[in-house]
Amino acid sequence: MRYGFFPGCSYKSEAGYAESVAAINQALGIELTQLSDWNCCGATAMFSLDETKALALTARLFALANSQGYDQIVTTCNACYATLKKAGHIFESNPEAINPINAQLSHEGLKVENLCPVRHYLDVLYHDVDAEVWSQATSNFVSEIKVATYYGCQLTRPWADLDQPQRPTILDEFISRIGFRTVDHSAKTLCCGASHFFPYEQECGRLIKRIIGEMVRKGAQMITTVCPLCQFNLDSMQAKIEIPPIPVPYFTQLAGLALGFKPSELGMQKLLVPWQQLLDHVS
Amino acid sequence: MDDLHLHDIFDQSRYGSRIRTCIQCGTCSASCPLTQQMDHAPRELFALIRDGEMEAVLSSDTPWYCVSCYQCMVRCPQEIPVTDIMYTLKQMAIRYDYIPITHKLPDLYRVFIKELERNGRITGAMLLIKYGMRHPEDFFRKMLLGLKLLTKMRIEFHPQKTKHPKKIAHLLNREGWNE
Repeated sequence: MRYGFFPGCSYKSEAGYAESVAAINQALGIELTQLSDWNCCGATAMFSLDETKALALTARLFALANSQGYDQIVTTCNACYATLKKAGHIFESNPEAINPINAQLSHEGLKVENLCPVRHYLDVLYHDVDAEVWSQATSNFVSEIKVATYYGCQLTRPWADLDQPQRPTILDEFISRIGFRTVDHSAKTLCCGASHFFPYEQECGRLIKRIIGEMVRKGAQMITTVCPLCQFNLDSMQAKIEIPPIPVPYFTQLAGLALGFKPSELGMQKLLVPWQQLLDHVS
Repeated sequence: MDDLHLHDIFDQSRYGSRIRTCIQCGTCSASCPLTQQMDHAPRELFALIRDGEMEAVLSSDTPWYCVSCYQCMVRCPQEIPVTDIMYTLKQMAIRYDYIPITHKLPDLYRVFIKELERNGRITGAMLLIKYGMRHPEDFFRKMLLGLKLLTKMRIEFHPQKTKHPKKIAHLLNREGWNE
């Protein structure tokens, strides 16, 4: 399987997502190659302005994957994932929508030949890596830390095919698989406010407090996320809401710990809420 | 433009006719994380559309508060693509000049799209600085956080770019399109 990795615009400046994904790939021999010359997917901004332009941006990504010989596009961001899934769905149900876009793309020598599957890296780690491989690789690891999983909103809706939209379980199963404990709670797919967080901090602060509060009440000591915007919002807002601080590592950082990497090899020093005390026994 | 004409345009859009089956149950409003901020909750907005009050609908801040979490959409018993309809309303508000001037999201989107057309990719720090020039209060509120991110080496000073950003601008310039 050739995965064409679409990192998305925020990947580089995130709190150790890149470091931890690289560590896992290296440990398990996953070949995740960056899609050359990728562009921004347009996220929610472009769909708000002009649907055709939004579709053109995503079509270019499919065309790049086709021309570079990848079988699948893999993302680590819920918004990129949902945007590509949505575009793929629109193209499938309206194949004629692709023609004018292909005509435009031909100036760059690109063409959408096929709508290859779009997947989240969580899906790859959960389904493409044998459960057996994980249990062997992480056999020395057991943690008593109670983790609340946070899927965020866009990962499971409405075009996603990796889990059910409102009560997903894939991340919980993954986190248990690598040796952590999970807690059940009702905020798994509530929205954190996404990009509204910057212009409307106070309003989104209430959403974030509701999410973290629910997790803390259910006994969580850590929150794990699969999306850069979720991670950023939950991690950075804690300084401004009255709630006991709770670290928010990426699921890939927890997997990296389970594989025996040191927190510093997983970019965990870039997280905002301190996690050191909690992980004393791990490192 | 008058209500009737706007209603026709909406009804002929990709998702417009789907609201005909709305049963006004309010599941969308109850599922929405930012209903409280909106001048009309989604259910109410749909009632207004069906009443033909399109100028009121397009001037509403509701679509601009929509965060695209799609919760309403997966819950709607009539399978109405609520979020996509919010996108249609935003596109129409831009096109026919009804954007509510007090809302800040249009500015964030404008800056985002300008960056995208210039570089083909978005660089978080650039985006927020440029948005901050229009809304300094939001920028200053994040100063402490910005400094913290700086010490964590999480601020990019060089804009990320595709190999030939002009090609992205060309792709997005619809004047040359044969549709």
